[in-house]
Amino acid sequence: MEIGFNAEETRFREECREWLHANVPEEKRPLHAADALEFDKAWQRRLFDAGWAGINWPVEYGGRGLSIVQQVIWLEEYAQADAPWIGANFVGVNHGGPTLIMNASEEQKAYHLPRILKGDAIWCQGFSEPGAGSDLAGINTRGRIEGDALVVNGSKIWTSFAHVADWQELVLRTEEGSLRHKGLSWVICDMHAPGISISPIRKMSGQVEFAQVFYDDVRIPLENVVGGLGNGWRVAMSTLSFERGTGFIADQVKQSQEIDELISTARANGKIRDDRIAGELGQMRAEVAALRAMTYRNISTVIRTGQPGPESSVIRLFTSELGQRLERMGVLLMGSAALDFRYGDDNIVHDYLRGFAATIAGGTAQIQRDIIAERLLGLPKSR
Amino acid sequence: MDLTPNSDQSALQTATADWCRDNMPLDGARNRPEHLWRDLADMGWTGMTAPGMGLDHATEALVFAELGRELAPVGLLSTAVAARWIGGDARVALAIPHEKLTRVFDPQDCASALSIWGNCAGLLMLPASLDTETGLDLSAPYATIALELVPNPLDDPRAALHLQLLAAAYGVGVADAARDMAADYAKIREQFDRPIGWFQSLKHICADMAVRCEVARSQLYYAACALDAGGDDAAFHVAAAKRLADSSALDNGRANIQVHGGIGMTDEAVPHLCLKRAHLLSFIAPVDTKDLLESAA
Repeated sequence: MEIGFNAEETRFREECREWLHANVPEEKRPLHAADALEFDKAWQRRLFDAGWAGINWPVEYGGRGLSIVQQVIWLEEYAQADAPWIGANFVGVNHGGPTLIMNASEEQKAYHLPRILKGDAIWCQGFSEPGAGSDLAGINTRGRIEGDALVVNGSKIWTSFAHVADWQELVLRTEEGSLRHKGLSWVICDMHAPGISISPIRKMSGQVEFAQVFYDDVRIPLENVVGGLGNGWRVAMSTLSFERGTGFIADQVKQSQEIDELISTARANGKIRDDRIAGELGQMRAEVAALRAMTYRNISTVIRTGQPGPESSVIRLFTSELGQRLERMGVLLMGSAALDFRYGDDNIVHDYLRGFAATIAGGTAQIQRDIIAERLLGLPKSR
Repeated sequence: MDLTPNSDQSALQTATADWCRDNMPLDGARNRPEHLWRDLADMGWTGMTAPGMGLDHATEALVFAELGRELAPVGLLSTAVAARWIGGDARVALAIPHEKLTRVFDPQDCASALSIWGNCAGLLMLPASLDTETGLDLSAPYATIALELVPNPLDDPRAALHLQLLAAAYGVGVADAARDMAADYAKIREQFDRPIGWFQSLKHICADMAVRCEVARSQLYYAACALDAGGDDAAFHVAAAKRLADSSALDNGRANIQVHGGIGMTDEAVPHLCLKRAHLLSFIAPVDTKDLLESAA
């Protein structure tokens, strides 16, 4: 066990730092997805042109083919430099792309992967449904095979960036009468196809970032199925544990900046003299450190075994709950000034309100606890 | 960067766990055999990082977490620290000073006791004969003495961090033991015609225990490596590891009793041994909140 980095990695970190220092945009990223689209696309293009997109993606699809440790270093430096959230490119870069790399045909990879990395194609995720949120296997959106196409009917919800997306990773039921995990397929859906309508949903923070999507006889060519008809569950699961392992590095660096800011705020307004507040700040600073250690451990496991461990669910759960506690402390330290919050404000209250998504999106905290108890501890399945 | 044990470390970890299970099981913690200390010394655990053996803190932390899981004597912590920073192979008791009293744990056959006064580790010479009694932690006999005996501070500030790190490793072991005990019981104990672990209310208690263990263990590994690396951030990382080990051992200790229901609060059952050990550990090299807020991370 050791925490040091080798000479090549240290050099790489310096390169990342220098480039970010010179290139991070001065202006802030707009809050609403539609306003932010051009910003997100331009920033992604700049990252790609300078060789910072897809650091551990294969070279033949526009990536750099570097190690996962270098990917981690990049993400750490990225967050440290206060570089903007990649926003609309998030699903393509962190989820759709990796899923294609692991499961797609040569044609599918050659077409889509470079477009994702360049910011030319925005992706969204079509997993959750009004009747199937955390119960992902309860999917009812159907694709009927008609000739060389699937004809899709149904609805998806909580779809981030749906109204600005070009493509969607869509999981639907392609076998009539199939149950649960069986008979599902993972397909690439053209969001500009006829029959798709989108209605945006406003969040409690005032942001418009996700939407409900309706499919009315939408035709998707069969060649857009990834990993074979009926294999949708396996394809969808193939990326989730990776997402849970390394997808949180930016959050973790952000949380280490947040805790230090909270401590300065508490010093400035004198609340640090309250032993309970000081104690909680100390505990959270220790926890933020532990989160980095846990992420490093998880990445070390990936490097050693090729697979992230089941601890990925622990990281997922711990990150989201720790983030919420940090945000709540931020609001507590503000005092009654928090009441002045208005839709569109970009401050700690906004982060606090937005943070309620963290223990719901991508499987609720309760689902994560079930997974930890069943897979890590071997307790009986209750579903 | 690699925070997983290498193959030698894994082998040592497994060998330690096997030995502890066979020779020092948790359920015998309140009545340890006379020859146990001799056995621990023979296994080399009384001075893993001492000159001669010279292993690193990372390896030692892995081993001490396994020892802590079966509630090994707390005198092993002070003896290992003394062996590293003072040398020799003498058995050294562990002292916890409190105002005008000092409690000395595991004082049998010890001429001195180690503790932390302020931020510094020090050595206290012990009177020739001490009568021991048993307190909250039934596995840790202790004697009470007056503090007039002046401690001899050790020069190197790393000695205090070393004790804090090893106590954290013990705490991680206790948290692990409580988690495993609770999960095993939840699989076999039935109510309403199902194992109680089927119910989400119980399942989520166990999941939270597992989360606390992963968090505390990860920080323990990082802290041990930071101490080995000798950087300015070692003091913070060791303090963070101790704080998280303390809280996970206490919280898991309590949760384990709840999962065991009525039997969990009896003297006959063993969950209370974990909780009581967690309370004792929280007083060994305790973390000052200032260290968490002010030290460089």
